[in-house]
Amino acid sequence: MRWSVLLVVFGLSMPVTAQDDTMPIAAWSRTAAIEESAGSLAERGRAVYNNWCDACHRNANQNAPGTRSLQFKYRGELPAALEEREDLTPELVEFYIRNGIATMPFYRKTEISDADLAAISAYLASD
Amino acid sequence: MPNPPPGLSERQFRNALTQLEEIVGREWVFHTDEDVALYRDAYSPLWGEDEERHASAAVAPTSVEEVQDIVRVANEFQLPLYPISTGRNLTYGGSAPVYSGSVVLDLKRMNRILEVSERDKTCLVEPGVSYFDMYRYLRQNNIRLWVDTADPGWGGLIGNALDRGGGYTGTDFRDHFDAHCGMEVVLPTGEVVRTGMGANEDATTWQLFKYGMGPWVDGIFSQSNFGVVTKMGFWLMEEPEVAKQVSITVPRREDAIALVDILHSLMCDTTIPSQTSVSSPVMNGSNDPELVRLRSSGGASDAEWNAYAQSVGRPFWSAGFVLYGAEKVVDSQWEHIRDRMSGIAGVQFNETVTHRFPLTDDEVEAAPNKARFGIPSLNLFGSRNAPGQQPSEGHLDFSPMIRPRGEELIALYDLTGKIYADYGLTPSPAIGMMFHARTMICFHPVPTFRNAADNQRTRALFETLVTSCGERGWNIYRIHAHFQELGMSLFDFNDHALHRLHERLKDSIDPRGVISAGRYNIWPRHLREDDA
Repeated sequence: MRWSVLLVVFGLSMPVTAQDDTMPIAAWSRTAAIEESAGSLAERGRAVYNNWCDACHRNANQNAPGTRSLQFKYRGELPAALEEREDLTPELVEFYIRNGIATMPFYRKTEISDADLAAISAYLASD
Repeated sequence: MPNPPPGLSERQFRNALTQLEEIVGREWVFHTDEDVALYRDAYSPLWGEDEERHASAAVAPTSVEEVQDIVRVANEFQLPLYPISTGRNLTYGGSAPVYSGSVVLDLKRMNRILEVSERDKTCLVEPGVSYFDMYRYLRQNNIRLWVDTADPGWGGLIGNALDRGGGYTGTDFRDHFDAHCGMEVVLPTGEVVRTGMGANEDATTWQLFKYGMGPWVDGIFSQSNFGVVTKMGFWLMEEPEVAKQVSITVPRREDAIALVDILHSLMCDTTIPSQTSVSSPVMNGSNDPELVRLRSSGGASDAEWNAYAQSVGRPFWSAGFVLYGAEKVVDSQWEHIRDRMSGIAGVQFNETVTHRFPLTDDEVEAAPNKARFGIPSLNLFGSRNAPGQQPSEGHLDFSPMIRPRGEELIALYDLTGKIYADYGLTPSPAIGMMFHARTMICFHPVPTFRNAADNQRTRALFETLVTSCGERGWNIYRIHAHFQELGMSLFDFNDHALHRLHERLKDSIDPRGVISAGRYNIWPRHLREDDA
């Protein structure tokens, strides 16, 4: 399956190279303002997720503090990587983004807007 | 809806918010309880207590003109504003105002990289630009320059520089305020000024020459409340051919004296270009009873410590740094460093990694000490480190500065180890960081919690650390908003003459007292106890 999204980088729209879903996103390609109309909600959610969540919750990254923490918390009963979870409801995603947990702070709406939050939920709920 | 700022009626507050909505649009003025709560300090040592600082609202502009209009409204209503850039100043107060009831001026939406000059090795950015943003821009555009990043990559270049934060790479770049060159400031009256060469509209050197002509005023906009900085220029580091990360270990506690003296010399003569960290693999070990006893003792002897070091089979000190440059130059520097250190009995030299640039995406991902190579990350954030362990909830940064002397490093951690133990907490890891060649900044995390009882102990511990170290001349360089009055009180030469100067500047530059009241204990006249 292929995907592509449009990111708005400092006012300049530029296409991100289409990649396999299995291909990890390079560390440097995270973080950018996300164009409101880019792709489907889930596709946009992936871009928002990469922007704000991936640095801590990256799949299979021993340095990612969020993934590492959830490994210890769930001890294999649930996947440590959020993108592998199948039980994340929009309410749960919203709760943690707006309330934080442990050292993870909450996010302001100038960082993750309500629309971005809905997109992240759609992405994490998608296959 | 939160309470109005002190001194404003509900009607005045609503009128002020209506005017702010006309400037930025209704979507970008936040005044519901739910939205305003997102501006709390996530690591507040006062979480949930009456004294916790809260915003009354927030407003998020996208341009300098909107900032000017907001400041004019603030003057009309005497509405206290609290500017933040990316708002991620965690451990120092986050995005919560110092003066409760202030309206947060959230500059995150001003996130444009206005210019990067590869030839001049400079950039000009707005306050919402994070280290992640700048790194991505450089990488995306194949620009062979580095931005020196704070530990958490979501921090902003401007906000971190103005709070005088630091990083890890070359000498000209890792003191983030020192690495800036030129700024644009909206003064508390709404007037815009540009500093340095930016005051000359035809100058081609705004980001190249700091001083311009006449008094250099940039410093008064750091750790202060004299304006809203809307643009800053920064110097960027040229990507080296290679970077060799190394460490040096010495076996005995007293070896810190020779080790730090030589490191200091090698940094002053520019052989070592990077931040240098001196930590103790022995003192930072597991919490076995003997280690706890030694660290809590307040002054165990070298003989006791060295016997313990031998029993656990670890060198007492380890110094880590990076050499940047052409490979043959770096190799010569490393050889010279080993020669200089060779007189310390038992010294060992370790080459951790040598990177050649540019890095591939996989190498970027795999690099464990990313910030030392200009790569932002969030990897320093804590996590559970064992199954079932409770994660930490936050921390404050207590970082006293000492002279670059091994004996002072030892004495500091003797003192603070006992203080932590007296409060029933595990002593801080021992690490002296030479952000500058001529001082060591010694990081001590102090845990914060989401409950009042534990936070009460945290505050008492923090205050004891500040005052006890202050009595020995080990002052701090930066401090959480709640403790800024305490921190500034230590700068007391001539009956606090410096503080009086700060207040006179405040009264002159911000006569209505609308910008960041109380930041670094600088209060406008109408909120000063002695003048109220």
